[in-house]
Amino acid sequence: MSFTGQSATGPEESTARPAAASQRGLRRAVVVGGNRIPFARTGGAYTKSSNQDMLTTALDGLIARFGLQDERIGEVAAGAVLKHSRDFNLTREAVLGSALSAETPAYDLQQACATGLETVLGLSNKIRLGQIDSAIAGGVDSASDAPIAVSEGLREVLLDLNRAKTLPQRLRVLSRLRPKDLAPDAPNTGEPRTGLSMGEHQALTTAQWKITREAQDELAYNSHRNLAAAYDAGFFDDLLTPYRGLSRDSNLRADTTLEKLATLKPVFGKNLGAEATMTAGNSTPLTDGASTVLLASEEWADAHELPKLAAVIDGEAAAVDFVHGKDGLLMAPAFAVPRLLARNGLTLDDIDFFEIHEAFAGTVLSTLAAWEDEEFGRTRLGLEGALGSIDRSKLNVNGSSLAAGHPFAATGGRIVATLAKMLCEKGQVDGRPARGLISICAAGGQGVVAILEAL
Amino acid sequence: MTAAQPVILGGMPSLSKLYVNAAATAARRRVLGTDAGTTLPPCGHEVRGVQADVGNLTAYQHLVGETASDILPAGFIHALAFPVSMSVMNRDDFPLPLLGMVHLANKVEQHGAVLFTEALDITSWAENLRGHRAGTQVDIVAEVRRTGEPGARWKGTSTYLAKGVFLPGIDKPSATAPSTTFSAPDPTALWQLGVDTGRAYAAVSGDFNPIHLSVLSAKALGMRRSIAHGMYLASRALADVGAVRGESFRWDVAFDAPVLLPARVALDITSVHSPAGAWHHSGYVAWNPRSGRRHFSGAVAAL
Repeated sequence: MSFTGQSATGPEESTARPAAASQRGLRRAVVVGGNRIPFARTGGAYTKSSNQDMLTTALDGLIARFGLQDERIGEVAAGAVLKHSRDFNLTREAVLGSALSAETPAYDLQQACATGLETVLGLSNKIRLGQIDSAIAGGVDSASDAPIAVSEGLREVLLDLNRAKTLPQRLRVLSRLRPKDLAPDAPNTGEPRTGLSMGEHQALTTAQWKITREAQDELAYNSHRNLAAAYDAGFFDDLLTPYRGLSRDSNLRADTTLEKLATLKPVFGKNLGAEATMTAGNSTPLTDGASTVLLASEEWADAHELPKLAAVIDGEAAAVDFVHGKDGLLMAPAFAVPRLLARNGLTLDDIDFFEIHEAFAGTVLSTLAAWEDEEFGRTRLGLEGALGSIDRSKLNVNGSSLAAGHPFAATGGRIVATLAKMLCEKGQVDGRPARGLISICAAGGQGVVAILEAL
Repeated sequence: MTAAQPVILGGMPSLSKLYVNAAATAARRRVLGTDAGTTLPPCGHEVRGVQADVGNLTAYQHLVGETASDILPAGFIHALAFPVSMSVMNRDDFPLPLLGMVHLANKVEQHGAVLFTEALDITSWAENLRGHRAGTQVDIVAEVRRTGEPGARWKGTSTYLAKGVFLPGIDKPSATAPSTTFSAPDPTALWQLGVDTGRAYAAVSGDFNPIHLSVLSAKALGMRRSIAHGMYLASRALADVGAVRGESFRWDVAFDAPVLLPARVALDITSVHSPAGAWHHSGYVAWNPRSGRRHFSGAVAAL
């Protein structure tokens, strides 16, 4: 078999351990804090709230927490995956509706489920380069208030009708309309090139890596248990603003048990040769919500007497050729993480907290299985053997998407704020700053990963 | 507050019943020639433990251009308190005919945010019965407190005119008010209001006054076409001023020519800041861009 992997080290940085960011003459970008609204299951408390409502509300909570009323922030970036065409300037409109200075610029970003983390990385880079001193990253999604488009047939007729000049021309255009053209076109989670839903794609990967039902249910159970414990301990008190009657994520089932999870019927992968193992319990439900993260240079945070929770050290994006099944749709982080670690001269053992987004329990477990696999390490990552295994007690210790839910673009902000606070609380480990790794998979076979460190 | 303790009502009065009752009272007074005297009711009305409906709140916020946050917009509180005020104007001893009264002006003081989750006590009374060159005017005051708190979070004063009603013992103002000629500034915004604007606001405010609902129902009450609710227009202007107003502010509006639907309305908002840069107030004025007639004007100011 020829070598067709994604080398963990790029050609331009082959042997020498690359310099850390601070040694490259860049200043640090720090996470000051975050704010989100509780995530709500679709059709629940936020059914009538738009993306702009939720993003503005999360933003206003952040502004209130850190005293940013009328403050001109360097730049705000956020996005939504399910987005109405009228929301082309969603983030700027949210800024205008917020208590920030109207002179705060903003832009929208969209990279499927990696949107939120990518806004953090892009803005951190601007801070590190000295282009801006402060920034707010974020994301929002509503599966309840999703855009519905007209059918392709009706759209073409309407556009041609607009161009038609005479009555006969208009009638001719209208005569092309067929009853089926009146059916609306709703968004779905299907991949455009394969027609398979994300869950069906993951079912293929889950089966390929032989992930058991029991292992998936256990991961889901831990997610609920950890998130509930974090809420009970007051961990989210300064990370969250209640909204529309919710003060906790509505998907959280603090009283769920492995027995209850074991009773659920599989929903994905039912027509594969392998046993179907993916249920509604070990897959994330559609969710509504928004999150924001305040980023700054250390000087700006000090001047405003604001906390500095953690530094954004580095980030990496990867993509896989999933279309004909070379890799699983959601497996890009399996390639991004080894490259990111190598560039920073780190191994999995140097990480104190792993935040691996739980799109499906199977996604997390397939990624870990790939890292533990000798052959995958050799043939796909270009390593001498397996990348390694992680200490499971360091994984998603305050819960993740299986319990909290996953409003696509809002997940990155949730994880960054959560991890930054955990790193700040942890402080030092073995005489070095505590270190966390974030891994987020995304539609289109993409993934974005990042490293944060305590200060 | 009036001297007498308010009458505590068992629940929120129904606006539709109040409108029907007002029509019946008007007919009775016309037929029997009875009148309700020349003084205001000695006491107000109060409803306790009022809770906003969150679905209604979201619809209201979207209609007037506010973010659907958990904070009740000042205009939404007006709509929430309106049935209590209507019940005062519907009392047998209220001296003016309720139907056909013209909303001249409105003043609101908002003292801190009110959340939709909070239970509210709403008190309303009538005061300041006085003459007007075209009839008799009266102030209907409403106060909204968080249940269990003494201080008002919101206080609104609505001034209404009963056109052509002159009560014995109440003098007309001697001079007619000087009508300043209005010259329209350059607009900062242009609103397109469809024919359904009145119905849409009626649905979220519960105020199904026929003059706002349709051409026919408006004509029945002597209007050429249906007209936009004054509080809808003022609430949109308040939303347009935006988050700079903070959680405590004064908001007033004076109504001139009614907005006949459908309409294009031109708006100018001018904000004034202190030398130190702090927001002081935003004045607004709206007019018909074709005729140049002023529809309403007012200001939102820091408290």
